[in-house]
Amino acid sequence: MPAIEVENLRKVFYISKKDPGLAGAVKALFRPRFDEKVAVDGISLRVEPGEMVGYIGVNGAGKSTTIKMLTGVLVPTGGTVRVLGRDPHRDRVANARDVGVVFGQRSQMWWDLALVESLNLIAKIYEIPAARYRELLDEFAATLELNELLSVPIRNMSLGQKMRAELAATLIHEPKVVYLDEPTIGLDLIVKERIRDFIKEQNRTRGTTVILTTHDLGDIEELCQRVIIIDAGHIIFDGPISTIKDRFGKYREITFEVAAGAARLELPAGADVIAAEPRTLALRFDRTQTTASQVAAAVMSQVDVRDFSLAEPDLSAIVKQIYNGALQEEAAA
Amino acid sequence: MQRYLNLYGAFLGQQFKSYAEYRANFIIGASSTIMMQAANLLTVWVVMQQIPDFNGWGFSELLLIYGLITLSKSINHMFADNLWTVGRVYIRSGQFDRFLVRPIDPLFHLIADRFCYDGVGNFLVGVVLLGAALAGLDLAWTPLVPLYILLAVLSGGGIFIALNLITCVTSFWIMDSVPVTRAIFDNHLFAQYPLTIYPKAVTTLLTWLIPYGFASFYPASYLLGHDVGVYAWAGPVVAAVLLFAGYRFWQFGLRHYSGTGS
Ligand SMILES: Nc1ncnc2c1ncn2[C@@H]1O[C@H](COP(=O)(O)OP(=O)(O)OP(=O)(O)O)[C@@H](O)[C@H]1O
Ligand SMILES: [Mg+2]
Repeated sequence: MPAIEVENLRKVFYISKKDPGLAGAVKALFRPRFDEKVAVDGISLRVEPGEMVGYIGVNGAGKSTTIKMLTGVLVPTGGTVRVLGRDPHRDRVANARDVGVVFGQRSQMWWDLALVESLNLIAKIYEIPAARYRELLDEFAATLELNELLSVPIRNMSLGQKMRAELAATLIHEPKVVYLDEPTIGLDLIVKERIRDFIKEQNRTRGTTVILTTHDLGDIEELCQRVIIIDAGHIIFDGPISTIKDRFGKYREITFEVAAGAARLELPAGADVIAAEPRTLALRFDRTQTTASQVAAAVMSQVDVRDFSLAEPDLSAIVKQIYNGALQEEAAA
Repeated sequence: MQRYLNLYGAFLGQQFKSYAEYRANFIIGASSTIMMQAANLLTVWVVMQQIPDFNGWGFSELLLIYGLITLSKSINHMFADNLWTVGRVYIRSGQFDRFLVRPIDPLFHLIADRFCYDGVGNFLVGVVLLGAALAGLDLAWTPLVPLYILLAVLSGGGIFIALNLITCVTSFWIMDSVPVTRAIFDNHLFAQYPLTIYPKAVTTLLTWLIPYGFASFYPASYLLGHDVGVYAWAGPVVAAVLLFAGYRFWQFGLRHYSGTGS
């Protein structure tokens, strides 16, 4: 059984339209008008147990709305959702036992309670056996470095501390499926790294299925083998990261360390110099027109090369290109 | 059921801890409700000094009605105050989402999330009022009387909670349901007095549509030996029906919950 199975999922929001001012308000009262906003428009996907999937797209693409339907917070306008075989909205309680969710910066804990008190209450809500709870609390306190924070109320925590606490609260009942909607938003590199390690560890040791939404492609590269890209409510790509790089990473960069710069270089078609300094030379080439070895051979025949390196295609640059419509162009071609 | 009771206890215990941090708020909250009640009562008392016989009702008899409805209201105030602000506080801020991803009933979660200590002040005032009324009345005491009073107060509390529940569901569409809840809730003010003093329409309203009458006038009448027929025992039924309807309406509203963007 797949962990998540979604068929033709749709969500339409109805936003009441009001003209400005009192007259508008009165008019809206007697003849309400609605704007339809199609946030998710026919999405189908399948996620196997233990997969870590990145769910990305521009602001307003429909990521959070999808996650809210997967968690049972929102009822779909159309289509079906199955999480571990259940309808998350109809089977809310059973579903909730097996899933965990982080909603961006929105805390699921009690503002005024010390972290450990919040966790105690959550343990009661999820009916975690006392011994197991103690074990997990110790484990999470160590891996997320929460020991000093246990007695601190959530309201007094910094963003990074709060997010670490949030992850502990989300995973303490050992959910089989976890949704993380922007878990690294606003965090510094070190906290980000710690959080990524923690998620990876959970997935490795417990086989947790993870759906991750983020605008930081570093998260995706570190954690996910598979990426789903959504745009205006449609899935425009679903596949391994490597495929994105192969298919859409049209340009690659190659950097040479040289003894002395050459005045003019004869280069294969599709290759250009992007930076020329006394000791380094950076080139960019179009993979559809030439190859790394042709470019390297051409350069080496003309200048004295000491060393060279081929850069891995940069995911964020590629995704930016996709967001800008590379896919539509490809589809049209 | 047992599980929910235990959970309620756990929620309550945790809140008590965080309240202890804000001890001043707690004391001010509880004492200001007591003071407000004292002012209300003083008004009734002053009025009674002028007209000792209010449409055939003596001071202690009025006090009985007033005490019963105060107790009923305090049950709602203590246990279900979050129904007032579900839209304003929980839905608008997006906090409501977390109730929907936990393995307990979201309505229970909402209600258990806040025990309103201000209501304790109301409850104490209600106890004093009821005590004073009973002291001033010459009731034939049987074991049934305290049981009847208990039942009346619980049903009255149920009616208050149910009406607030039904009106708060509108927040799934209009975000802030406080004006709607207030419009219905304020009708309980009529039920602080004998329904016999009102035109027929008002009596009908408070019996059949917004039945706060069952939280005060009808049980008080029964205790005083007036004949009100089946209305004397209808309170629990009215409360149960309204609570059931309210819960179904809540579930209907939940399916239309659209959350907030982001
Ligand atoms: N409760 C709501 N009512 C009305 N419209 C909504 C609501 N929630 C979301 N929308 C709209 O639906 C669309 C998708 O929103 P969603 O929050 O799913 O985007 P997102 O991909 O998560 O974006 P971001 O990266 O900015 O978080 C947006 O146009 C948004 O304005
Ligand atoms: Mg979002």
